[in-house]
Formats: sequence, C-alpha cells, structure tokens
Amino acid sequence: MDALITAVGLVFDPFVLWVIVASAAFGIFVGAMPGLTATMATALLVPVTFFMPPVPALGAIVTATAMAIFAGDIPAAMLRIPGTPASAAYTDESYAMSRKGELDLNLGVNLVFSVIGGLAGVAILILCAPALAEFAIHFSSFEYFWLALLGLTCAIFIATDAPLKGIASLLIGLAINCIGIDPAAGHPRFTFGSVELLQGISFIPAMIGMFALSELLRGVVTVDQSGAVLTQKIGNIFVGVWNVWKRYWRNFIRGSAIGVLIGALPGAGADIAAWISYAISKKFSKEPEKFGTGHIEGIVDATSANNSALAAAWIPALVFGIPGDSITAIVIGVLYMKGMNPGPTVFLQNPQFIYAVFLIFILANLLMLPLGWAAIKSSKQILRVPRNVLIPVILLFCIVGSYAMTNSVYGIIIMLVMGLVGWIMEENGFPIAPAILGLVLGEMLEQNFMTSMIKSDGAFLAFFERPIAGVLGAVTLLVWAAMLWRGINRSTVPTAPAAPAQ
Amino acid sequence: MSLRANDVLSGLALIIFALAMMALTLTFPAFPGQQYGPSLFPRILGVGLILCGAALVLNGIAARRAGAPWVDLAPWTRDPWRVTSFFLTLAMLLVYILASETVGFIPIALVFLLALFFWLGVRPVTAVLTAVVTTLLIHYFFSTMLRVPLPRGWLNTIL
Repeated sequence: MDALITAVGLVFDPFVLWVIVASAAFGIFVGAMPGLTATMATALLVPVTFFMPPVPALGAIVTATAMAIFAGDIPAAMLRIPGTPASAAYTDESYAMSRKGELDLNLGVNLVFSVIGGLAGVAILILCAPALAEFAIHFSSFEYFWLALLGLTCAIFIATDAPLKGIASLLIGLAINCIGIDPAAGHPRFTFGSVELLQGISFIPAMIGMFALSELLRGVVTVDQSGAVLTQKIGNIFVGVWNVWKRYWRNFIRGSAIGVLIGALPGAGADIAAWISYAISKKFSKEPEKFGTGHIEGIVDATSANNSALAAAWIPALVFGIPGDSITAIVIGVLYMKGMNPGPTVFLQNPQFIYAVFLIFILANLLMLPLGWAAIKSSKQILRVPRNVLIPVILLFCIVGSYAMTNSVYGIIIMLVMGLVGWIMEENGFPIAPAILGLVLGEMLEQNFMTSMIKSDGAFLAFFERPIAGVLGAVTLLVWAAMLWRGINRSTVPTAPAAPAQ
Repeated sequence: MSLRANDVLSGLALIIFALAMMALTLTFPAFPGQQYGPSLFPRILGVGLILCGAALVLNGIAARRAGAPWVDLAPWTRDPWRVTSFFLTLAMLLVYILASETVGFIPIALVFLLALFFWLGVRPVTAVLTAVVTTLLIHYFFSTMLRVPLPRGWLNTIL
C-alpha cells in the first residue's frame, strides 16, 4: 500500500503530468501522420526521455504510444492511409464508412473503443503482472535462456509470413549484438581495434536508424504522393456510439481478449492483433457479407484489440524483461540504460515504479478521450502539414537524438548504417522487428546460455532437467517443429495476411 | 513497391556475412580450463545464418525458374528526381557526419534543412523560415534544456 501511495506521488507531480500531456500531443501527431508509426514515436522520444528520471521517461513512452495507436485511425478513415500499421487491418472498412457519410460514427467508435480497449488491456496487465512476477522469481539461467529463446521464436512464428527471413533477421540482430565485449569471458569481439565499438552497438541510435531513418528513406521518394482529404464536415462524433456498444459489446470483449493475448505473447504487437481480431470478427459474424462495405462490426473488434495489445505487451516486458512488441523492446533498452534491469526483482525492490507505470497507463487512456476528440476536430489541419517539410525536420531530429546518446558522431554513424541495413532488409522482405528483438535480447540469451553451459558442463539435457525449464524448452521446440511443418507444407497452407513491418 | 533482389542474392549475402563472422572468431583466444569461450555463440549464429542463406538460395532458384527477375526495381527508381531525393538524403547525412564538428551545429543544420527543403520543392519563404525556426528550437531544446554538447564549431572562433 505504501508503494501505491509513493507511486501516486510520483505520477501526480507537475513535471510528470506536463510530460504526459506533451507526449500525448506528440503521440497523436505522429500517429495521425501517415508514414510515422508508434514505434517511431518511441524511438524519437527516447533521446529526450534519456535525460529524465524513470517515471516521466516511461510516462512519455506509454502515453505517446497509446495516443499514436488511436490516432492512426484518423487518416485511415479520412485518407484511406493508415496512420500506423496497427490501423491497416480496417483502413478500407473505415474509409468505406466515410464514403457512406458515416465518418462521425466511425471516428467516435474508434475513439471510444480505443479508450475502453486500452483500459481492458491495462486491467489485465495490473491483474497478471504481479502474480507472474512472484512465480518468475524462482527462475534460473535455464528458464531465462528458454524464455528468451521462446520470445524470439514467437516473434518469428506469429509476426511474419516469411519465417525463413524472420529467422535470418533474428540471427542478424543477434550477430550485431555480438559486437563489443562478450558477456561471459570479457573478450572484445568484432571491434576491429575501434575503441567505440568496444561498448557494443549503441542501442538507441540503432533503433532510430532501423525504425525512423529507414521509414524516412521510404518517405522521401514518395514525398509528393498523399491522399486527398475528405471534405466532409465533422459533427458530433459521439452520436450513435452507445447503440454500437449495445449491439456489439460482445465484439468488444472478444477483440480486447485477442488483443491482450497477442500483445502478451513476445514479439507480436498491436498491428498483428488488429489483423487477427478483424479476421476472427468476420469469420464469426452473423452478416459477414457486410464486411468491406463500411460495416462497423469488425472495426469494433480490431480497434479495441490494437489498444489492448499495446498494454498487454508490457506484461512479459516488466515480468521477464522479454519484450511483447517492438515498442516494449525499446522500453527494455531504456530500462537497462537507467540501471533498472526489468524482471521479477523490480516488483520486489521498486514496486512503486511498477504501480506508477500502471497509473500512467490508466491516465493515458482516460486522457485519450478529450485529446482524441480535439485531434479529430483539428484533423484537417494536422493532415495538411506538408510531408516535404516534415521529413527533413524529423531527419534532423533523428540526427541530434542519435548524437545525444553518445555525445559524438559515432551515434549518427550507427544510425546511418543501421538505417541502411534496415532499409535493405525491408525492401527484400526481411521483417525488422526480429532483428531488433535479437539486438535487445541477445546479451540476455548469450549470457544465460553460457552460464547454463558452464553450470551443466556442456550437457544439453540439463536444459530440460528443471520442471519449468523443461516445459518452456518443450514448448519452444514444439513451436520450431510447427514452423518447420508449416515451411514444408507451405504451398498448401494459405498465408496469413501480410502485416506491414512496424 | 520495393527494390527487391532475388533470394539467391540475399541468401548468398547472408552466407558470405556468416563465413566472414566465423572466420573472425578463429582469432579469439581459448581460455585454459574453459571449454566454452567467446567464439561459441557467434559460431552457432553463423551456422544458423548459413542454413537460412542456403534455404533462401534454393527458394530463389525455384523463383528464378518460375520467371522471377534477378532484381526487381521499384517504379521510383526510374524517376531521376526521386532517385536523387534518396541519395541526396544519404549524402546530406554524410555531410553532417563529416562536417558538424568543424562547422558547428547551427550552420550545418541550416544547410542540411535548406538543401532538402529546396530539392523537395518547399516554397523558398517557407523553407527559410522553417529551417531557421527548427534549427534554433532544436538547438535550444537539446543544448540548453538537455545540456547535450552539440558541436559549437565556428561559434568558438566568433564568440
């Protein structure tokens, strides 16, 4: 209880509240601009939050991403371009509704169900995370090795329709992570005599490169191509939302549940959750023929799912230090930089910090209602910001942000190189998210692997001897087997909807 | 949409990368009495990458037989203006990396923004105003508020 009171004190501090409101506005803008994603918002925020204490730093990320995932629905309905990949699943449906003259209802439903979907995700996070942490406190290097491996495996299995390229991407991330001093023996690897490479590839510049620079490089060649804004006037967006709730509250529950499940699985986040819940909604609908013609039903499922997934992704991140999506991957990097190693011990040693994250999540979702309404009302102005002005400005921001992480041009060089690597990978169908997870989890994976190998003196069977490690190991191997099976039967199995990389 | 190389090429690139990495691990020292040294993990990764690369090569050969081209160029690569936009962006990043320490943040940021603005067709007045305001805002925010030591460059000789 004391911890909760401390947490309230930490969150309701004028500076923290100011940071939350400012990052909310930032998140809405980034989310509403096509081509700028929630992950990119996080990557751009990190250099700024780096200089703050942990609570406002996490508050900024939590708020900005929650807002961005909602705000992505606005251009989807008005321009038929998703603001973030998480809205891609129902962009056509939203736009069809707007064409039918139901833009108000569509935006109202998106806003209200994003808010309550987000709150549902937060509720599960609050209920599950502490209980799981108590369980996880007894884990040894064997369990952590398997957890890290399972997390990485899930990232490939769920998140991509090209598992082979997903695995390759993951291995590339892990290989890049090998640069620097190795975690077991302390020997420098792949540094080519460079002092700066000794500390390893600086994580935040790498992130800015892969998520922001690669996206901007794509944006700069299509700078003059943007949709025409609908000229429809926006009226009262809340009219009719209550009727939608009365009719489709079951869809809301199902969508949020799917979102929580997929969000909590390591590696898959809001965009996959939206695709899957939309598909399920269509499959079990009483009137599937209406899907695609501007029907609200699937939107209820999917818009609730992507916001609940966002919160649920924090469950594995806080409890095990294994990211649930690419946003929490960045968060884990931030936590390590702040000297707070995510994992069950945080729940014991710094419970006030965990409660503060919970409080901020609730606050951010409540704040979404008024701010989201304001964003919808001013959406025409937001969408009018020309991209040829925006892209160079964001580029400069990326440069300065990367520089600030190392206080030298070394950070900018990493950003440039990793941005190009990310761009080439995406152009050739290699998803980026597994590489980032590899970069974040690599050290944990290798350290626990080496410790376990040394403990067991090379006997691989020891990895299965402890009961939980055995179960986790078996599950991991099962997923691998399923992946192989899917690879062999590829021609007969229909591929999942291609989810654009984040 | 993309600038896609045949999987044969991607696969070969992965294999070459993995072989180079594994060759470098040969230079790592072995520690007496310690069976598992710093080279173990990179070597496991290398084997994995080679397997992936080989599978991609096989996929690529199959795709090639089915008539896929070696390199599939995206439409934008045929438009000189867009290609220049792409390389200008990279070039300006390089210019920033090479020149920022000597020139200082404010001049280099102005040059960076103005060059891209003009090339991308922003109207001159908007371009100059946005460049000046953005540069000063970023400088104030990072240098004054966050105390990041942005390079001063020429400012040192003037002030």
